[in-house]
Amino acid sequence: MSARLSLLALALLVLAPALLGLVLPPNQAQFWTANILGRALVYGIVALSLTFLATYGGFVSLAQMTLAGIAGYALAILVEGAVPGIVGGLPYAAAVPAALLAATLAGLLVGAIAVRTRDIYLLMITLALAMGVARFAESNIDWFNGYEGIRNVVGPVLFGVPFRDPHLFYYVALAAAAALYAGVLYLVRTPFGLVLQGIRDNPRRVAALGYDVSLHRIAAFGVAGFIAGCGGVLTTIYNIGISPGSIGLGASVNILIISVIGGLGHPAGAFVGSLIFAVFDTFAASLYDRDRFNTLIGLVFLGIVLASPDGIVGLARRLGGLRRPSRAGEQPAPRPAETG
Amino acid sequence: MPPDPAPALHLTGIGRRFGALHAVRDVTLTVAAGERRAVLGPNGAGKTTLFNLVCGDIPPTEGRIAFFGADITHLPPHRRTRLGIGRTYQTSLLFNGLSVLDNLYLAVRGGRPGRFSVRRPGRGDPDLARARALAERMRLAHVAERPVADLSHGQRRQLEVGMALACDPKVLMLDEPAAGLSPGDRPELLALLKGLPRSLTLVLVEHDMDVALPASDVVTVMKDGAIAVEAPPDRIGSDPVVQAIYLGGGH
Repeated sequence: MSARLSLLALALLVLAPALLGLVLPPNQAQFWTANILGRALVYGIVALSLTFLATYGGFVSLAQMTLAGIAGYALAILVEGAVPGIVGGLPYAAAVPAALLAATLAGLLVGAIAVRTRDIYLLMITLALAMGVARFAESNIDWFNGYEGIRNVVGPVLFGVPFRDPHLFYYVALAAAAALYAGVLYLVRTPFGLVLQGIRDNPRRVAALGYDVSLHRIAAFGVAGFIAGCGGVLTTIYNIGISPGSIGLGASVNILIISVIGGLGHPAGAFVGSLIFAVFDTFAASLYDRDRFNTLIGLVFLGIVLASPDGIVGLARRLGGLRRPSRAGEQPAPRPAETG
Repeated sequence: MPPDPAPALHLTGIGRRFGALHAVRDVTLTVAAGERRAVLGPNGAGKTTLFNLVCGDIPPTEGRIAFFGADITHLPPHRRTRLGIGRTYQTSLLFNGLSVLDNLYLAVRGGRPGRFSVRRPGRGDPDLARARALAERMRLAHVAERPVADLSHGQRRQLEVGMALACDPKVLMLDEPAAGLSPGDRPELLALLKGLPRSLTLVLVEHDMDVALPASDVVTVMKDGAIAVEAPPDRIGSDPVVQAIYLGGGH
């Protein structure tokens, strides 16, 4: 996706609440702003951490929702006003950085544990870690309040407006998503990001060139942990709390589904997939039947994977390529017999 | 230029077993600094295993390897690269998702401090300039921005050598550089090899005598994991042991 297209999408998202206000009644416009677009953005951030790992490192991790949950739990445990108060007392300005630090460290730890595994084995080990953390949170009362989780994480008051205000929440989520998206695109063009792509294409060669593959892998998981942590803080505030259900098997798999629907070929896929998922999750009940939501999203997933293995973004790219055959011709002469 | 007193590579009693298979056995080999050494042998002679032992891809089960006098027997591959052992691969191991220039840039960065940088290289970045110069030297400047997946086989081999040269190795190890090249591409490769400076020590494992003999000072012929003959290239063709290996014992 070109920079021009990204900026266009950003402009559209900035104007979205106003545009929705023009076509929908106020309460519905608010619902769309916070509960469809806002939600798509915050879960999209968690999915972005997976897309970053998978697209540029070739690592498919099922532990990204867990890392988001670690940030969420850290926030809920530390911040003032949460129910029940476990440590409490910290303002958001201190609790949020602590939560991001916790997620980053947990990301580094996951990376270090999984450093020698690839493909299906990496998937299994991250799944095991994710399930372990979810079970632990479910059975531990002292720190995680067990099955019920921690409630009333309402977010700070910014500029005199409570965080729960749909517009404030939406614009904070959008700013975070845009910054992280731009950060990922920047990072992958730096030496660190290029090495990561080298590891994806050929880890043996990367080592032969003098790079420490393990260290780069662990660092990449740390970066992904930070991104997931940002998503975790926002999803926890969006849900006004966190419980083991938000980091269970279903939640972890949903992040994978979001990433694959959107496309594991470009960071934009995380947000495209998240928007599609949010729309289906919200309207499947009224379209079809509440209990059949999983059937519907499963069919959508199957359809997209069959039609376009690289997701919606890949599909859009190919359609774009079909529409612009002349662009290819403008590039420097496509290699005639020049081997000589 | 005074020659380095310690040999570039000194292998003492090197061996490697894969279970019951003794792929390399008791190889003792000295390559002087600046020398061009070819390692020949039929399939299964242990050439590539020996090569991987020197590069550190697999650890030896017996023996020692010294690089300019320093023991490197147990160093991991990336540490050997930083010391100055560059290598190419038999089947090109390139980064298919990246451009030619990014491949070379990564190779240039690999030999330097600050490998972990998260700052994007600017226009005047010296490493980037060096990557461009290498693309020029390997005659790949016209395809520098293209993804490696688009290159022809000959271009991939050229890039392979370019990447190995990027971190200024003292010893360059070439694993069958002519593998899969058309006859027309071979003189180009040979010219490229002959043009390398004498400050560089060259070890090439090769199947193809037409490339190996003109490019080398000393030829080592291996058979069944051990060294059979060590001789200058002009005597290799007439050596009875070599003839027996390549033509079979009956001739």
